Amino acid sequence: MSEVAAKAPTRARRRRLMSRLVPYLLLQALIVIATVLGLRLLQPSDPDDFAVNDFSLREDGATRTVTLPHFTSSRYSLADPPLYSGAFTFQSGDPGWSVFLPRFSNAVEVAVNGVVVLDSRRDANANRPDRNTPQIAPIPSSLLRDGSNQITVRLFVWGPLKGFLDAVYVGPDANLRPAYETRTLLFVTLPVVFSAWQSILAVILAIMWLMRRHEPVYGVLAAAMLLGVVQAFLPAPVPPAASSRLAAVLLASAPIESALIVVFALMFFGWRWPRYATLLFVPGVVVFVVGLLGGPPLPRILFLVLGIPTVGICLLLMAGITAAQVVRRRDAASFTLGCAVTIVLTCWIHDMLSVFEIMPNERIFLSRLSYSAMLVAIGAGLTWRFARALNQVDSFAGQLVTRVREAEERLKASFVREEERARAAALANERTRLMRDLHDGLGGQLVSIVALSERGHEGATITNAARAALKDLRLVIDSMDDIGGDLMLALGSWRERAAMQLRPHDIVLDWRVATPQGLPLHPELRPWHVIQIVRVLDEAVTNAVKHAEARHITVTIETLDDGQGDGQADGHGPYGVISVADDGGGFAQTGNGEAVSAGQTARGLRNMKSRAARCGAALDLSSGTSGTCVRLQLPQRFPDSDAAAD
Amino acid sequence: MTEQGETGETITILLVEDDAPTCWRLQDALVKAGYEVRTAGTLGEARRALGEAAPRVLLTDLRLPDGHGIELIRETRRRLPDTEIMVISALGDEESVISAITVGATGYLLKDAFPTDIATTVRDLVAGHSPISASIARFIVRRTQGTAQGSAEPPPGPVLNTAKLTPREIDILWGIAKGFSYAEIASHLGLSRQTVPGHIKNIYRKLEVHTRGEAVFEAVQQGLIKL
Repeated sequence: MSEVAAKAPTRARRRRLMSRLVPYLLLQALIVIATVLGLRLLQPSDPDDFAVNDFSLREDGATRTVTLPHFTSSRYSLADPPLYSGAFTFQSGDPGWSVFLPRFSNAVEVAVNGVVVLDSRRDANANRPDRNTPQIAPIPSSLLRDGSNQITVRLFVWGPLKGFLDAVYVGPDANLRPAYETRTLLFVTLPVVFSAWQSILAVILAIMWLMRRHEPVYGVLAAAMLLGVVQAFLPAPVPPAASSRLAAVLLASAPIESALIVVFALMFFGWRWPRYATLLFVPGVVVFVVGLLGGPPLPRILFLVLGIPTVGICLLLMAGITAAQVVRRRDAASFTLGCAVTIVLTCWIHDMLSVFEIMPNERIFLSRLSYSAMLVAIGAGLTWRFARALNQVDSFAGQLVTRVREAEERLKASFVREEERARAAALANERTRLMRDLHDGLGGQLVSIVALSERGHEGATITNAARAALKDLRLVIDSMDDIGGDLMLALGSWRERAAMQLRPHDIVLDWRVATPQGLPLHPELRPWHVIQIVRVLDEAVTNAVKHAEARHITVTIETLDDGQGDGQADGHGPYGVISVADDGGGFAQTGNGEAVSAGQTARGLRNMKSRAARCGAALDLSSGTSGTCVRLQLPQRFPDSDAAAD
Repeated sequence: MTEQGETGETITILLVEDDAPTCWRLQDALVKAGYEVRTAGTLGEARRALGEAAPRVLLTDLRLPDGHGIELIRETRRRLPDTEIMVISALGDEESVISAITVGATGYLLKDAFPTDIATTVRDLVAGHSPISASIARFIVRRTQGTAQGSAEPPPGPVLNTAKLTPREIDILWGIAKGFSYAEIASHLGLSRQTVPGHIKNIYRKLEVHTRGEAVFEAVQQGLIKL
């Protein structure tokens, strides 16, 4: 089951791949046909009326009759170059005759009636076997005779291919020159234009690579293009003149160049680097090293044996890579590159057929030209891709800005929501606290007033209850104010209220602040702490008024720091102490006499202790004949939550 | 009945209070202390009374049936600069008292104050001693801290310009807010005890905003309003 299940997708996948590959291959075949047809159509036409085809060739001591175009038998003939002798007819009166040689290799020396009119070795362009440079030379009219004239062509051959001489044209310059111009344009000017273009692209790509080292694809292509430019602009040496070995090997660097192009393709398509891919560089390096060590003519020979096949292999690899890429990705870049490779490959095969004299044509080499065109196309494509990437970056940046703004707004909104929620929660907490505080004090006092009024009480009792209620209301309001953790500010208001309360009883309130700063600051101090503390103090004062019959009440405020937490203080540091002392008889004695009052006092004391405990303070009460002292020791840190509240 | 002040001259008081029992209570306390008291229950009555004769002291509630006591204070302050003005307040909360101070009132009187305290307060006021409570002093000094910190939004509560207060005056306010007596403050700050009330009077005058234009100018100066 599982095997079938595993095979089924494989088969489906293969079918899908085939369904993509076949149309692609068909299209490439069409491109090959179109290329061949195009080459045929674009082949420059020569003025056949003036062709001189029949020559007698003296080569290696033997003389025979040949018809041009003709291949020599040797690859190297500098000492005794083959000599082609022919004849043409001149009618006097025709102005300005010229001799036109569309294609030869490697160099020619043309003489008319024994006088040399053209030596192509002087033209650097003409010395390159890979460039199909034509030559034209005017024949001085003094040389020409009416009727038959003799023309001799000496063909210098220095490899790596066999010598070749295309038809020779002799005739009026006006008739020959258009053909010459066309060939010059195609085979001299156009390569130079391509090479110049290529060099500019090489610079641009090199800069891109320098700025973006993590994308070596640009660097590889720049190197390949640079090699091509060097080959295009280095002057080809003409034996027997000595030339530098470096120049010779650089001229034979095409295999390295083509290997670089394969590397570029691999990188461009993001393929994994195959281990054996380095082998591609071996032929090029061999040509380079051996050529450098051995000197001419080794580079040329090695180039022929190793270089050209390597270029072919590279082209085939490229075709394979692009085809695989087209099948896999079906993207425009690989498709375009694949078509370009097919065209170059076709041109290369065309050249090979020409080299091996299988195709009896005029030995016009097209690989270089088509290859340059392809490189330029690649460069343009890369630049286009780069520009598109920039656009994407721009739009991405724009999107990012928008997103960030959106996120910011969302965040702001949620922050506002959160803030509102927090505010609402704080408000609710505050409301709960306020309700509890009002219930503890004001509520009870108002109820007490109602009860007193209903029982027909008059005057003082109701007045006192109402005053207590108002005092408590003021306490609640006062404690809501932000005092910034300074309990002294709350005690200041309390002093006023307490003094007002004591004045009718003729009790003097002594206020002693023992330490200059009063009490330590408590940033964690909350209104409910303040209320509890002030209520404890109120209770202490009220007790002194009611039960102790005091004349003086002394409130002492001080900050102590004994270095060790006393009681429930959880740490070291200063803590505040507030004591309320009176000079009354002490409640213990009074309590012995009045049972009810003792019960009330006990309840009041319990109340005070529980209030103190709620905000982490400790309450001590000492009472004797000399008076009562309530000592409230504040914590070093007030608790966050109302722990003792129930 | 004719009432005589301690110095022999009759001190007239205009009492503006809409709640009748409270009004009687205060009136009783003041009349017993020997002041000549006229009463008004509404803003209109108060204006008429002020038009008839200028009182030495104006005691006014803030919430009146036909308007707000703040308007009365502002008008009186402008028309009768010699009249001392005090607010009558049930709770003595900063919100109402401070806004009254900024239009020219000097302190407040609690509605449930004991009769002796009521008389003492008015006597001190007439003698040139401006009373200031710990909670009002606290509010003012907290506000000076707020402006010193340069907080972005103005603190809640009435607008109060504390920029004109000198460091010494602020020290005095701190002392009052923390419950120290004038004598204690004077000894702490190295002042004579008698100069403290004068400082407090100055504080009141500096907190007063005289005109609407001035108020706007002050607010801009303080950065409370951004133009």
